[in-house]
Amino acid sequence: MSDRDTVVSVEGLVKDYRSGFGLRAKRVLSGVSFSVREGEIFGFVGPNGAGKTTTLKVLMGLIRADAGRATVLGHDVRETEYRRQIGFLPEAPYFYDYLSGREFLRFYARVCGVSRSDRTRRVDTLLEWVGLAQAAEARLRTYSKGMLQRIGIAQALVHDPKVVFLDEPMSGLDPIGRKEIRDLIVRLQSEGKTVFMNTHILSDVEMLCHRVAIIVQGEVRYEGDPHAVLGDDERGAEIVLNGVSPAFWESLETRFESGVRGVGDRIEVLLPHKLVDDVIGEAFLAGAHVVSVTPRRATLEDLFLTTVEQGARR
Amino acid sequence: MNSLDRILAIATNTVREAIRDRVLYTLLFFALALIGTGVLVSTLSYVESERILQDVGFAAIRVFAVAIAIFVGIGLVHREVDRRTIFTILSKPISRSEFLLGKYLGLLLTLWLQIAVMGIGFVAVSWLAGASIGSVHAAALGLVGAEVAVVVAIALLFSAFTSPMLASLFTAALWVIGHLSRDLRNLGAQSALESVKRATELLYRALPDLGAFDLTMHAARGIPIAVSDVALPVLYAAGYATLVLIAASWIFERRDFR
Repeated sequence: MSDRDTVVSVEGLVKDYRSGFGLRAKRVLSGVSFSVREGEIFGFVGPNGAGKTTTLKVLMGLIRADAGRATVLGHDVRETEYRRQIGFLPEAPYFYDYLSGREFLRFYARVCGVSRSDRTRRVDTLLEWVGLAQAAEARLRTYSKGMLQRIGIAQALVHDPKVVFLDEPMSGLDPIGRKEIRDLIVRLQSEGKTVFMNTHILSDVEMLCHRVAIIVQGEVRYEGDPHAVLGDDERGAEIVLNGVSPAFWESLETRFESGVRGVGDRIEVLLPHKLVDDVIGEAFLAGAHVVSVTPRRATLEDLFLTTVEQGARR
Repeated sequence: MNSLDRILAIATNTVREAIRDRVLYTLLFFALALIGTGVLVSTLSYVESERILQDVGFAAIRVFAVAIAIFVGIGLVHREVDRRTIFTILSKPISRSEFLLGKYLGLLLTLWLQIAVMGIGFVAVSWLAGASIGSVHAAALGLVGAEVAVVVAIALLFSAFTSPMLASLFTAALWVIGHLSRDLRNLGAQSALESVKRATELLYRALPDLGAFDLTMHAARGIPIAVSDVALPVLYAAGYATLVLIAASWIFERRDFR
């Protein structure tokens, strides 16, 4: 990957939150580093309190980092003018509810410096794009959560930015609302925009993201392909056996402990992939019948949980 | 030009928010009602009833204008932070100073509109009671507008770094002190100690001199005023508010929005 492809670059971000007259400090970011490439959907995932939103707020210039460097499109995030090229949807956003959808977008378009002649066209296009053309004249206080999320995405796009930052865009939405937002995100990416998404909904990340970074306790512990499975040694399989003798059952339990469960003479064993052949051989010798062998695909959830557990052990 | 447009966008939106807020209409109603009660109060006296009527009217306009300036001014920034609307705004190509200035101008414009409405009520009541109205009254009302320009700036300064409750207290206290700062200087000037003289003079320079904006006595008694009686306080308000806004911006620029 060349530097030219890097749209967001974060190097060693450190942030302490101080309380009690600044005497007590709690470190929320401990050297966060990652990069986002042009045109990708990037998922920034982590458990609650890991530092996702703080990192995003540093990128948006809402919080100043104590150390480290963050750039977007080559600009220091503390600059103001470059923000013409980025859009942001905060988590659980609250907007000016006394404005109608159209007034709201026109206001942000003006703040972003969209010319008066382009403003009407741009706002109409976006209202259509997010499916709110019919509700354009209604005040935002009458909008549902899904509609607010969609108008929020529209405000993030009102100035046609190159990079869009979304903080928990699917949080609190029903399945239909989530699908609508997912579709919008895919559409954004297909139109050439880079999308940075903070989330803890792993199924959405698996579906949408080209790359992820997993943050745990203020440190990025994994950065890469969310579809990458764990290493061969950690990859597993599930074997289902019938006609298992008590002695063989005990032998399996001794070796695989919590990976063994069953009723009567039927048993399911979760075991490392490399031991599958050995156990099938033993089952044959013990007079058991092999019902099925299913490779266990490592999901993002596995990767996430493993990363979080490793982080907690440090 | 872009910077000005961004500031005006924020200011326009602040005015729109105020116009659509029923609380301000309620306050305005009470202010007009109080101006109206001046007619009743003036009937209690056989002498100078017109002066009493206009004294009550001016007091109502000043108190309500300042109360709105303090309480809405404090909430201007705090509400944006509390409701997290500030996250979206400050992620746009707008500096924090531009945002603050836009909020300031928006509220100031709203207050001036309200003072104008209260002024119309005042003129109507004076006209009905047969009290005289002239250019001095217009000047006195204009200076109430200049006074709130200083008060809103102070409210913004405090709300940039402290809680709404403390900010309200500090601003209200400074408003009261501001009306007494001339007395403080005069008191110090009579002291035999040079250090007391210097200290009170210094305090007078640092504190707002809000007594300069009070032409109520001139208006109610029909005492003529010079151009400088209006021009100098207006210049003073512009200068003082600018300095306070610079301080507020400096603090606001360094604030983390968690």
